[in-house]
Amino acid sequence: MSADTQTIIVTGAGGVGKTTISAAMAMRMAGPDRRTVVMTVDPARRLADALDLHELSNEPSPVPGVDGLWASTLDASASWEGVVHRYSDPEVADRLLTNHYFRAIADRFPAAQAFAATETMSTMIESGRWDAIVVDTPPSAGGLDFFLAPSQTVDLIGGKLLHWLTGAQLPGRRFLYRFTGRPILKIADTILGGALLEDVAEFLLDLRTMYDRLAARAATIQRHQRRATTVVVTTADPAPVAEVLRFFEELTDVSVEPSGVLLNRALPVGWADAARRPIRNIPDADVRATLKENLTRWGGEARRQASAMEGIAGRYGVPLLTVPWVAEPPTAVENLTQLLDGVAGLDDLL
Amino acid sequence: MLDRRLLFVSGKGGVGKSAVAAALGIVAARRGKRVLAISMTDRAGLAAHLGVPKLTYDPLQVRPGLYAAVVDRSRALDEYLGLQLHVVRSLPTRQLSNALSVLADTAPGIREIVTMGKPIFEVWREEWDLVIVDAPALGQLQSYLAAPQTITGLVPTGAVQEQAARLESTLSDPSTSGLLLVTIPEELAVLETREAIVHIDSHRQIVIAGVIANRVLEPLGIATATVAAVPDGPPRAAGLLHAGLVEAQSTWLNSIPDDPRLPFLFGFHTPGEVAERLAELCEEFV
Repeated sequence: MSADTQTIIVTGAGGVGKTTISAAMAMRMAGPDRRTVVMTVDPARRLADALDLHELSNEPSPVPGVDGLWASTLDASASWEGVVHRYSDPEVADRLLTNHYFRAIADRFPAAQAFAATETMSTMIESGRWDAIVVDTPPSAGGLDFFLAPSQTVDLIGGKLLHWLTGAQLPGRRFLYRFTGRPILKIADTILGGALLEDVAEFLLDLRTMYDRLAARAATIQRHQRRATTVVVTTADPAPVAEVLRFFEELTDVSVEPSGVLLNRALPVGWADAARRPIRNIPDADVRATLKENLTRWGGEARRQASAMEGIAGRYGVPLLTVPWVAEPPTAVENLTQLLDGVAGLDDLL
Repeated sequence: MLDRRLLFVSGKGGVGKSAVAAALGIVAARRGKRVLAISMTDRAGLAAHLGVPKLTYDPLQVRPGLYAAVVDRSRALDEYLGLQLHVVRSLPTRQLSNALSVLADTAPGIREIVTMGKPIFEVWREEWDLVIVDAPALGQLQSYLAAPQTITGLVPTGAVQEQAARLESTLSDPSTSGLLLVTIPEELAVLETREAIVHIDSHRQIVIAGVIANRVLEPLGIATATVAAVPDGPPRAAGLLHAGLVEAQSTWLNSIPDDPRLPFLFGFHTPGEVAERLAELCEEFV
């Protein structure tokens, strides 16, 4: 069953409308015969209300008014607790989960939230409960973290850190009391004014016990990612466009190929030309002048958007989809469904 | 705003904080100040807005009076150890900084304090009239601001602890340091900014120097009903889009402090052009 689950990963820079687009896609896909779940990350209040999401939970709840649609909001610390329980021995798990270094890493390590998202996605795929899963990804530089997180997490735990502290062979806990005899560590301890390094090393040894199981898990997660359909959402603003370009440059490292780039907040291409033509059908001169001036500004934006998008599509040969700019971002179920109406090429992806 | 020695610029990702940081650097340099603009992240944003391909750890002059740099973590760690902790010369610093980079990736506060230490060291160095920091986005900023206190709690004595206390006092001195928040009039950005204001005001790690709303649209000057009444076509559609966006923005503008506003810039292609134009606009209020 899980092999039949269709997975859409929606990625892109922060602030481009990923979560809204994810929800709208899931609404299109859901139906009585297609159980669909959208996994959101930090949805805006009004969108969360529309999806009836009121607290962080990896457990999907049904979306009122949409047959066959469920939604969840990523709870990264619950995902990590699950990871620790599944991939380490019980007594180590208890030690790790109460260790304040573990909390600090889980809170700050940039890939930690992304890894939680990949793990939660994989669990959903493997549950066999879903026909389709739409995954909104945590904000990060261009969305790459979501794809790099499995290997980065394994690297962190497999321990370049630990390797340096303890040497090539993985020692037992007894080793700790010997290695702190190394002069450098004594100096570091003096500077830091406490037995900090010893604490850290003890913690890293616990973390290291998860390595083999977590490395195998990461490989599975990467397979799920490669099998998914990846859609990159952007706006035409210079900063997100630069991030999309960087995303494509670096993606080859993880052998993921996006199936499409979706330009959100797109302006009609015709506005650029229309702005050059005289307006004849507005009798009031003031109104005509104001609207002409306004169209000239927006027409210039439309032209700028078009050239930014040609840069992406021309260079990487991906299908380009455009979602029109609407004044008020859609937050009710009906508006969300309409948002993607008439978006050419979309249904080929979904 | 530019009277302090150290100005952090932050905001939700994508609101234009690098552009504003670059613009303020340009303005301050034009007024004859010796300015260092420094990025705390490795992102290309500040470089692009200053019109240079990339930044380095060593300050690079980008125009008269304006220098730019980026915090490189391992160089910052070396500097932190060598300069600030007065580590004895005979020590194998490389090994020691290896030990500490292990810590920096694990123990809370160390990476942050090393990264944040750099701009503050530059202030102590007395070489600059103003250090403008393109700081991490709001989501990460708070763990940086809290770093000195985190360290103090973690290591009760020693050179690192003394260092942390000194950083904390520079940061929290309102005549030396300030934080400028950049936002845009949209739901997520405004709500995140408001939460940050409450959090920062209650933790008193740094004083908020201002809240700038960026990408604010000017009203059309004619009633929306008038626009709706003209015949269908691009002039009407563009007019209605503009009017609708202005209305949506006004809701969010009303719920942030009434500080300076920067307009939505039409027709700008490169980050360098954007920063130049913003600098002209900033002249009026800084």
